[in-house]
Amino acid sequence: MVDPHYCDWQKPERDQQQTQSQRPTPHPTPPLPGSMRGEAEPAARGAGAADAGHPRSPDPHDLSDDPDYADAASVPASIHAAMRTDMADIGSEETARMDVVYEKERVTIHPTQYGSGRISGKLRLYLQLGSLFLSWEPNEGVNSFSTSSITAEIEKYRNLYTIQALPLSDVRFIRRHTPTFGLEYIIIVLSSGLAFPPFYFYNGGIRELFATLKQHVFIIRSDDDPNVFLVNDFEDPLQKSLSSLELPGVATVANAMSRQNSFSFTGSVSEVRHGDDAKYGGPSTMSEYVSKQRRKSSDPGRDISFQVLEKFSLVTKFARETTSSLFRENHSSGSHAYGRQKQEYVLDNKASDKYADQLITPDDASLPSDSVESDELLLVWGKKRGNPLSVEEWRSFLDPEGRIMDSKALRKKIFYGGVDHVLRKEVWKFLLGYHEYDSTQAEREYLAAMKREEYEAIKSQWKSISTTQAKRFTKFRERKGLIDKDVVRTDRSVPYYEGDDNPNVVVLRDILVTYSFYNFDLGYCQGMSDFLAPILYVMEDESEAFWCFASLMERLGGNFNRDQNGMHAQLLGLSKLVELLDPSLHNYFRQNDCLNYFFCFRWVLIQFKREFSFDQIMLLWEVLWTHYFSEHFHLYLCVGILKRYRLRIIGEGMDFDTLLKFINELSGQINIDRAIQDAEALCSIAGEAGADCIPPGTPPSMPIETDGGLYVQEDDVL
Amino acid sequence: MSYAYLFKYIIIGDTGVGKSCLLLQFTDKRFQPVHDLTIGVEFGARMITIDNKPIKLQIWDTAGQESFRSITRSYYRGAAGALLVYDITRRETFNHLASWLEDARQHANANMTVMLIGNKCDLSHRRAVSYEEGEQFAKEHGLVFMEASAKTAQNVEEAFIKTAGTIYKKIQDGVFDVSNESYGIKVGYAVPNASGGGAGSSSQSGGCCS
Repeated sequence: MVDPHYCDWQKPERDQQQTQSQRPTPHPTPPLPGSMRGEAEPAARGAGAADAGHPRSPDPHDLSDDPDYADAASVPASIHAAMRTDMADIGSEETARMDVVYEKERVTIHPTQYGSGRISGKLRLYLQLGSLFLSWEPNEGVNSFSTSSITAEIEKYRNLYTIQALPLSDVRFIRRHTPTFGLEYIIIVLSSGLAFPPFYFYNGGIRELFATLKQHVFIIRSDDDPNVFLVNDFEDPLQKSLSSLELPGVATVANAMSRQNSFSFTGSVSEVRHGDDAKYGGPSTMSEYVSKQRRKSSDPGRDISFQVLEKFSLVTKFARETTSSLFRENHSSGSHAYGRQKQEYVLDNKASDKYADQLITPDDASLPSDSVESDELLLVWGKKRGNPLSVEEWRSFLDPEGRIMDSKALRKKIFYGGVDHVLRKEVWKFLLGYHEYDSTQAEREYLAAMKREEYEAIKSQWKSISTTQAKRFTKFRERKGLIDKDVVRTDRSVPYYEGDDNPNVVVLRDILVTYSFYNFDLGYCQGMSDFLAPILYVMEDESEAFWCFASLMERLGGNFNRDQNGMHAQLLGLSKLVELLDPSLHNYFRQNDCLNYFFCFRWVLIQFKREFSFDQIMLLWEVLWTHYFSEHFHLYLCVGILKRYRLRIIGEGMDFDTLLKFINELSGQINIDRAIQDAEALCSIAGEAGADCIPPGTPPSMPIETDGGLYVQEDDVL
Repeated sequence: MSYAYLFKYIIIGDTGVGKSCLLLQFTDKRFQPVHDLTIGVEFGARMITIDNKPIKLQIWDTAGQESFRSITRSYYRGAAGALLVYDITRRETFNHLASWLEDARQHANANMTVMLIGNKCDLSHRRAVSYEEGEQFAKEHGLVFMEASAKTAQNVEEAFIKTAGTIYKKIQDGVFDVSNESYGIKVGYAVPNASGGGAGSSSQSGGCCS
């Protein structure tokens, strides 16, 4: 799955990642190969194909009109010769082949505006695991003509500019500058809007650079500015479908890598914030970091985070200064395209609208993968969705008496693939907590019979209320009236509930009224029927559906409480999670008075019921109900979806009203598999810090019981 | 689509009084009895013409249940008009009007135009609230009043447009500072000189689109 748009996730942090090494390594260090184990096979396939020659299918965007493209890539074959890099130093048994496809010396950075301090270095493009990376390493020592004070400063910061492994999938565009007098240079702008300082080509080589790029990544010239080359701009339908097929040569792994980096990094940030015992240690690989993180042992990543954070502020400062000086320069030379903030440029770009659209095209939903092993490492970014739990697999989880032997493994399986529909009737009872995992088949049958009687007894409580009695029982009348009105407005387009006088609608009504007697304090609230409709559809049995619904309400009752405290707790948790996982988006919401997160109200209240189709929601719910990663996985889903659209939200300057409307209109537009993967990734990296964002007792956690009963009561509750 | 003004409306009232159906009738000219109940808020929009000026109505259709009041209150912000709806066949929906109005007064702009609508007037054989009672309530609280039917479309168009007319007149009278969006009015791009707070804008200039 190619997702250039993932780049808007935490990208700046990823760049910090690249600067974490104190000394420039002799060879660019590929990111985290140890963590790539699970992807190694497909990745290797990709690399092989790339080696074999021209990896990409015919380019739909012929750039032959461009002089820089006219010559076929004239990359010296000698450079093509593979350069093996030993990974042992970063703790992996795996070695990843690194093919340098472009290398240029004397590619120089001018960190100050005065031109006296220059850092010369080597720019490289290399292929690894099927993806193209860019690196730039400064040479040792600074040019001698620098003054000593500048030298000191340059020396201090030179390593900040080192780019160890920038996946081209993170690049938004590259701008080529060809001044009439002076050196040619390029500026690389990332999807996050962050720009690297200009690279001046003292020995030429820009043409070859673009020619090489064109061979390996999708790159087109911007309609707006012939000097801007858009990378990973998949607005072309052919390219989009090619990328969705994961053909070799289209950057795939790099995305995963970049996600991983950014996520891991963000994880460290959270540790910095929330950790209370940060210890000092040497730099560590992220894979190590992650596994340690998962073992909850002492965390060498923490101090890295401090360093990286510190450096990041410097990098951004430099990038800002250089870019702004460039803007001035461009103004004076009469170019308008850059006469804005770089962030705005990215956002204003025509293609950015297609960003979000492309994110949600159904055809790029990931294909199931069965590489389940070593998920400790894979977890760092969302693992690909698997197949639903099949009948055979289900049987394998049961012992001869029908106990579920390994409920965690079962929940994991369901988390990654859902449940075959024929099994839902059986499996949901466990997920919802109606059946115990360690119960035997016989025990469950006995329980079902008992519960059926109990249900009938509760139901008869209100069934026996006569019209005369009802006249003196306003609360009952109003409640029942409300339910009567709502069941005919619930999922009526689903065939099971379709048409006039549908008996299933009556069952829906009976269950809800019965529930409002079973749990009189909570009563009935709109949204409950949204939960019940799929449950009844799956159970096809009134009593079983009732008890499953009642079990669900044990956890989600707070959503429907009169004082809405459950909702407020969740929205507050969501706010904290966004603050943790995307501080700039959080700031945006804060500045725009959106921190109540009411725009996510419907998402949270009925767990995305209105955002997906009936079939999809059954899948999503069973994933949520596993509580495999977190009881509050739905909140991570919210964060993930918001992050997907952060560029548009911030770029269009959405205020509360616009945002609410925008979020509402996402209904039916969200790619469910990717949303789950995103949430998984976020959940993994947030770790304990994420869990700390959510107060105890927040639904769907079990409520904390108090003396006064579970639900706040007021006199006018319906 | 370009417009001279955009007005934000909010539809409020008890659950089941027909808020969503009124909206659908107004925006799509159809009645759909099997519409999913509203969770949170739904949106609708339609262009109308007043005084030869294209005006876009952006309508917020809210959930009516009491439990969601705290959420609904956040939607009042910046609304220029409100349709307060009750069901003429259910007395309690009429009885709750005062509390809705109090919410609106507390959380909306003081200049918000409120139209009171007694919906389901096609069901007059089951009427539980008389026309006069509705009219009286409106009079007491300074609201515009109409009985309407989302089912037959009776007065639906009129209700929305009359509200818009009232708002438009307030603009003409300079009640609103249209450059301040908290009044629920946005000035569009269709009429170049429409931003002058209404004072002296020519009613015949008409804008560029129709």
